[in-house]
Amino acid sequence: MTDYRQDRSALPKPSGTYPPTEEMLAEPVPDEVQAAQAERLRAAWATPKGFRYWTAVNNSEVGKWYCLTALFFMLLAGVMALLIRAQLAVPESELISADRFNQLFTMHGSAMMFLFAVPMFEAISILLLPGMLGARDMPFPRLSAFGYWCFLIGGVFVIGSIFFDAAPRAGWFMYPPLATEDEGPGSDIWLLGLSFIEVASIAAAVELIVGTLKCRPPGMRVNIMPLYAWYVMVVGGMILFAFPPLIAGDFLFELERSFDWPFFDPERGGDPMLWQHLFWIFGHPEVYIVFLPSIAIAAMIIPTVARRPIVGYSWIVLSAVGTGFLSFGLWVHHMFTTGLPTISLGFFSAASEAVVIPTGVQIFAFLATLMVGRVKMTLPMLWIAGALAIFTMGGLTGVMLALAPFDFQAHDTYFVVAHLHYTLFGGMVFPVIAGVYYFFPFIQKKQLSERLGRWAFWLIFCGFNLTFLPMHLTGLWGMPRRIYTYPTGLGWDGLNLISTVGAFIIAAGFAVFVWDLVRPKHRQPQIKRNPWEAGTLEWTHDVPEEAWGIRSIPHVTSRYPLWDQPEMQARIDTGRYYLPDAAEGRRETLVTSVIDAEPIQVQRVTGPAWITQAAAAFTGGAFIFPTFHWYPPAIVCAVLAVCCIIYWLWTSTARVPEAPSKDAGLGLTLPTYASGHASVGWWAMWITMLGDATAFASLVFGFFFYWTSQDDFPPEGAMHAEPWLVGLAALGLAAAWALTVGARELNRRWMVGAARACLAVAPLAAAGGAAALMVSVLELEPETHVYPAVLWALAIWVTVHAGAGVIMQLYCLAGSVFGKLTPRYDADIWNVSLYWHFQVLAALVTCAVMGLAPGVL
Amino acid sequence: MTERKEQLEEIAEERASLMKITMGPLIWAIHFVICYGLAAVTCAKGWDIEMARVGLLVFSVGSLGAIIWVGWNSWRQWNPHETGDYFNSWGRAEDRHHFLGHAAFLLAIISFLGVVFTSLPLVMLGGCQ
Amino acid sequence: MALLSACGKDQSALDAAGVDAEAIRNIFMVTLVGACILWVLVNGAFYTLTRLRTDPLDDRFVRPLLIGGGIVVPSVLLIGLLAWALSILPDQRAPGDGLQVRVTGEQWWWRVEYWPDGAEEPIVTANEIRLPAGQRTEFVLDADRVIHSFWIPSLGGKMDMFPGRETRVSLHPERPGRYRGQCAEFCGVSHAWMAFAAVVMPEEEFDAWLEREAGDAVAPESAEAMRGEELFRSEGCGACHAVRGTEAVGQVGPDLTHVGSRETLGAGRLGATLEDFERWIAHTGELKPEVLMPTYDHLGEAEIADMATYLKGLK
Repeated sequence: MTDYRQDRSALPKPSGTYPPTEEMLAEPVPDEVQAAQAERLRAAWATPKGFRYWTAVNNSEVGKWYCLTALFFMLLAGVMALLIRAQLAVPESELISADRFNQLFTMHGSAMMFLFAVPMFEAISILLLPGMLGARDMPFPRLSAFGYWCFLIGGVFVIGSIFFDAAPRAGWFMYPPLATEDEGPGSDIWLLGLSFIEVASIAAAVELIVGTLKCRPPGMRVNIMPLYAWYVMVVGGMILFAFPPLIAGDFLFELERSFDWPFFDPERGGDPMLWQHLFWIFGHPEVYIVFLPSIAIAAMIIPTVARRPIVGYSWIVLSAVGTGFLSFGLWVHHMFTTGLPTISLGFFSAASEAVVIPTGVQIFAFLATLMVGRVKMTLPMLWIAGALAIFTMGGLTGVMLALAPFDFQAHDTYFVVAHLHYTLFGGMVFPVIAGVYYFFPFIQKKQLSERLGRWAFWLIFCGFNLTFLPMHLTGLWGMPRRIYTYPTGLGWDGLNLISTVGAFIIAAGFAVFVWDLVRPKHRQPQIKRNPWEAGTLEWTHDVPEEAWGIRSIPHVTSRYPLWDQPEMQARIDTGRYYLPDAAEGRRETLVTSVIDAEPIQVQRVTGPAWITQAAAAFTGGAFIFPTFHWYPPAIVCAVLAVCCIIYWLWTSTARVPEAPSKDAGLGLTLPTYASGHASVGWWAMWITMLGDATAFASLVFGFFFYWTSQDDFPPEGAMHAEPWLVGLAALGLAAAWALTVGARELNRRWMVGAARACLAVAPLAAAGGAAALMVSVLELEPETHVYPAVLWALAIWVTVHAGAGVIMQLYCLAGSVFGKLTPRYDADIWNVSLYWHFQVLAALVTCAVMGLAPGVL
Repeated sequence: MTERKEQLEEIAEERASLMKITMGPLIWAIHFVICYGLAAVTCAKGWDIEMARVGLLVFSVGSLGAIIWVGWNSWRQWNPHETGDYFNSWGRAEDRHHFLGHAAFLLAIISFLGVVFTSLPLVMLGGCQ
Repeated sequence: MALLSACGKDQSALDAAGVDAEAIRNIFMVTLVGACILWVLVNGAFYTLTRLRTDPLDDRFVRPLLIGGGIVVPSVLLIGLLAWALSILPDQRAPGDGLQVRVTGEQWWWRVEYWPDGAEEPIVTANEIRLPAGQRTEFVLDADRVIHSFWIPSLGGKMDMFPGRETRVSLHPERPGRYRGQCAEFCGVSHAWMAFAAVVMPEEEFDAWLEREAGDAVAPESAEAMRGEELFRSEGCGACHAVRGTEAVGQVGPDLTHVGSRETLGAGRLGATLEDFERWIAHTGELKPEVLMPTYDHLGEAEIADMATYLKGLK
């Protein structure tokens, strides 16, 4: 094997002194140097003015928009809840019609989950994470912006449908056949609108994982990361494995809605249970996806309040990782009453109890920290205390519900409504509000009102318990969920009235909170920089605000650097640390190694642009038009979206730098370009593909699910995919993969011509393979039975992915021809090869299933 | 050449340690999926559930053994008795090394409990109804 | 505790009238007590540490707290609880003592068939379940178009009903009485109005009732009832409803052979007085949005009264 690093294509390696010595750090920076550096940094990171403000991609701007939008959707969904409660205040009320009521509760749940809870986590993380990690920005700012605009468009579309009486109305879980048979666009709005938002969520998850793994400050090894970063990593990973099954489910569901392919229709071999499995494989981890980041906020606040480092750091890591894993073994507890074998119920009942242990560990770690700390009670801590009181109750009712026999009674009653609101208010809403009070000085450089904060707390806390505590009893007295009204005489009247009164008190509390948030604060005096005397890096922020994120990126040697490294603040401010300058006027941040955070590269990050909005708008069109069966504009939008994304990538990612390396400060010279697993792009591709592979695996799971649930699958005498064409497809797609990987290797060895030839032939092989696969199923009639339908679905999946792969191959070819991709600067082709590794695997599995299953099963 | 090799080794070691902290939970996950999958298919296809139960119980014992092995290894990596450091809260390479051992050890405990919980239905529940 | 299970609530899971509901209520009551204790302990500790005793305690208390509170205590409690719950799980699916009841969920009512032990043909009825006390009855459940869930809280847990698939559940009522069941899985617009009366009877009474239920409809006697029957025929009600022993053999809607003897109308929507029959015929769509049955508000008041008399007479 040739040693790449020593031939002329090799990129420079980091060189110079690392870690920095105390003498180097102690040496002052001359004032005029400081001033000039600050000026250049300020210019490079300037937030655009006027209407161009909306082109901003900086995490501090995008994060704020994201938070406010999610808050806005949450308030709308809250108003829906008030309408629901108003209707249920008295028996046989005619305030709201049954159909409207069904739309309201469907939308309340969907919006709270998809438009508030998950996006709020991503929003807060985009806003806070770079600060906590001493990074200038996220690694892919335009991706965050793209995700935000997708979220905004999709969210407005989905929630807007309620104003046109066209909202989805089959429940947030969209069970077929009710949802598949539903007339009107409601179900399509749910499926397509939320799939669109899920894609944006995955984009954000990729961004956050890469940010945590690769953008930590030098020296911040995994054992001294802020706990918030651990949670972000775990939750990001969970999103990657939880959302794709739902996307695969949406894909099948929409095929059934649009083309009548019977995936969930029992009369033609389909099975509504498949949807329930796919939905809850997403749905249960989702609860923890919402809960863990909020607990992460508590893990940041509690050490500050206790004025000492967190006790049991490893225990909390254990709890986050353990909960992340176990949460994938719980989904069937939403399906205890579907008649599954008792032994299956037993497994899920057991896992649902087991997950209590790591969840409890984290609460005890907080208690221990408070026990050994010198507690100074603050307003954020009041909200955390409220969260604990509410969450422990939700957790304890969760222990009850995890016992399958008890769930047979409580399932789909108001007991569950009470339970889930206790877990979500205690596990998410309260900690997030605590986080808002705690981090507001960091975000806005202003302070929220202590007095209003206490009012809001007591109103929401009392209102909450008044609303939901009685609901436990309402449920046990037999009131099912999702009924728009009820007869009198069952004992439910008084309890419901109390709940309704409570709901309006919660609303009053939120009104106070939102007023505190938005009231003008320009007359407030400048705040202290670190008002809570916290120990983590985000509190080195500049007051008044600077857009550069951090003046220079410090070398970190402890978990609470502001407590343990007293000179740090001054050194950051004088630009003593890394990247104190923007000599080329470019936005830069530091990329470090995954485990030990050793500096490895200066990463150029992208700046303001309109192209992200255009890409988001067209992507939105591609998802939204099919809702109304307007396929031609949808196709046009899809093509334009691809064009926008190509333009965006071409003009701003993996650009050939003006010099192969640069001075990063403190005597360290770092490369300005990286490819392969040293680069952030490669990691992003890897992580994205992991999600993609999960979605594909869900489809294959579907195939085998039909096999287990039916006596004759594939049915007797069914037509199968043409075996020799399937074989040809496998060959073609494997060849496309081999040629791509070959092109990468040839290019590295300066055989540019041969590499280009490979890249020219590879798309042909891929297209040929995909075409063979489609032709192999062409004779099958997917409307007749689920077997041909599922083969069609697999073929379409592989073909679409091959299509994207072809575009990528051509992109690399063009890059090679126009000098964007050279033997030295070859990140693009590394990423494309990685993409093809995954696709060839998916293609071979598909071909094996299609070609071999008829003989084997 | 040698430089490159060293780097690869270092990366390999790093990846192995991150792998190690997920090793316990991964064993739990595999155990869980196989228990659920085999039981579901056995019930759906009317195969012999008693055989499946016995097989799965043997598999549970094997999984517990594997987790104990992971736990023992991570305990040695954590090594608090020799270092006297239970917190590993500083920024040196050995702190990171010990910390990963500690986290892996704690996760092995949780995974052990997880497998015990999952095996309880195998012991207590006989059939498919 | 007594307060929680206050009597007079026909649909309360806490007012257990059967073996299964009682087993579940017991497990709930025990966990409830445990949950209250744990909640007070955890929150009390939190309050103490943040408000009452804010000075630091020694670090040596940390590890016992984490190991004991975080791992040992919850593991022991949970494994005990889990074992208890698993031990009562098979009973809820135990086979019945002979009588089988087949219930099909329709939008939004219940098709009911009784299959006594060894029967060749079912006894068909609708929207009401009657069960003999002191024995276990097995239910075979399915659904017509969408998923429903069969649930009688006072007797035991629920079980979903799927189109194209059979699910089973069994119930063992003990205390005779009148209870209420309701669909628990969201099934469309009038999900709220899909309920039924569940009547538990002493065994002999049940047998007598079942024998009556198996017979044909009684012929109308009064003049009003006869006019009602004529209207029932001329309005085409028989296209959807069956009244055994007459020419009405429709299968789309509930069987009405003995509708006059049932406790409720419109799948638990109304009671079963003469006025309720009139209301139901004249205001069907209002009472139950999007129900398949048309509203017969074009009939005059007297005609509706006749029809109601006829139906109420179908004992």
